[in-house]
Amino acid sequence: MTGSGAELIRQMVAGDREAFARFYDRYAPLVFPLIQRILRERADASDVLQEVFWEAWQGAAGYDPARGSPEAWLVTRARTRAIDRIRAMRRRSETFVAPLHDALAAAPADPGGDVAERTEDRRTVQHALAQLPSAQREVIELAYYAGLTQTEIAERLKQPLGTVKTRIRLALERLREVVRPTT
Amino acid sequence: MNHEPFDTLAAAYALGALDGEELVEFEAHLAQECARCAVTLRESYEALAALARSAPPAVPPPEVKQALLSRIAAVAPTASPRRERGRGSLPWIAGAAAAAIVAAAFTGAFVAGHYEARLGQTARELAATRQRLEGEIAVLNDQLAAYRSAADLLRDPATRVVTLRGLGPSPGATGWVIWHQTVGGQLFVANLPPPPPSKTYELWTIGEGAPRPAGVFRVDAEGRATHRVEPVEGGKPVKVFAVTLEPEGGVPAPTGPMVLASAK
Repeated sequence: MTGSGAELIRQMVAGDREAFARFYDRYAPLVFPLIQRILRERADASDVLQEVFWEAWQGAAGYDPARGSPEAWLVTRARTRAIDRIRAMRRRSETFVAPLHDALAAAPADPGGDVAERTEDRRTVQHALAQLPSAQREVIELAYYAGLTQTEIAERLKQPLGTVKTRIRLALERLREVVRPTT
Repeated sequence: MNHEPFDTLAAAYALGALDGEELVEFEAHLAQECARCAVTLRESYEALAALARSAPPAVPPPEVKQALLSRIAAVAPTASPRRERGRGSLPWIAGAAAAAIVAAAFTGAFVAGHYEARLGQTARELAATRQRLEGEIAVLNDQLAAYRSAADLLRDPATRVVTLRGLGPSPGATGWVIWHQTVGGQLFVANLPPPPPSKTYELWTIGEGAPRPAGVFRVDAEGRATHRVEPVEGGKPVKVFAVTLEPEGGVPAPTGPMVLASAK
């Protein structure tokens, strides 16, 4: 357990700055691409990244391993903060619309040199994503990365709200299956 | 009770896509500690984290980590910012004052940290801009010196202006030499295409005898050039000015095609 993400968070609760530095080194390269993908502006992405890790430092005591992995804890926070910023931008300028058919399906090139476990993990998730019907991938893209609510997605796609809800549910069911521990 | 509607709500909630009354409804449901929805949400967040992990990692700008570490150091000068509180020994007012101080420190550190990364970037951009401007100023100073010397020359009745016309490979090129036999002068060129790689333009003065090299010059992106021309040794007269295309660095006697020349 030594050096695991959860362990580092425990040390952060105790005020261990070293642990925070290691926590950052481990997770910032994971969270940063997500923020960048949502925001696209590197300066904004850096701001949000800092905000997210600052909150992690301050809120370390609130982390409960029973409720999820450190990654999920951070990623959820990062996504929320990035979307907050996107929505604020949208309020300021109605013209800002995140690009739609981004290559969600196109599996990014493996940078290589990763541990086998991660590579395996990546392939599995990419595979699951690739297996989704494009309509389901699209709602994930619009909701998760572009920050649209289900009502906004329905308007944008000119689909009944019920259809959008179903697509969201089915898409997430499929993705959950990939990470669900086999029992 | 049928739970299925909540499964649908939970999925949209996990994606952050729930809005309006349904968001209120689902949060009320969650507040009742629905174990099934808790599992759905936990698994959904893990799946979305796995999705994030499936993207190639990217190294964030180093100043973010630096800013965070200094923020933390500013807020917690000791290694332990979350020590156990004194057990009620302080009067509440002192506690409140301490809280206010901590809050102020947090806010200050937050604001400082928030802008540090931005400031670092701004500083780098400023340095780059300054460097560029210094380069541009140097170029402008050179041009200004050329124009001044040309203007000075034009006040002298012995100065003449020689027109050069484009030839062969660059018929659209034009040039002028403001020329004073004993002082020298300036060459101004327009519409001359930049030379091919490892070639350069070289000016020649032709009077009695063989052409004399009068220096190589650069052409800018718009095809313009300005070049100082030294007087011929002994102040001998020049009959023709000519520009040829030569190997880089220039040569003592012309070898390449003539691109500009004055009329005899």
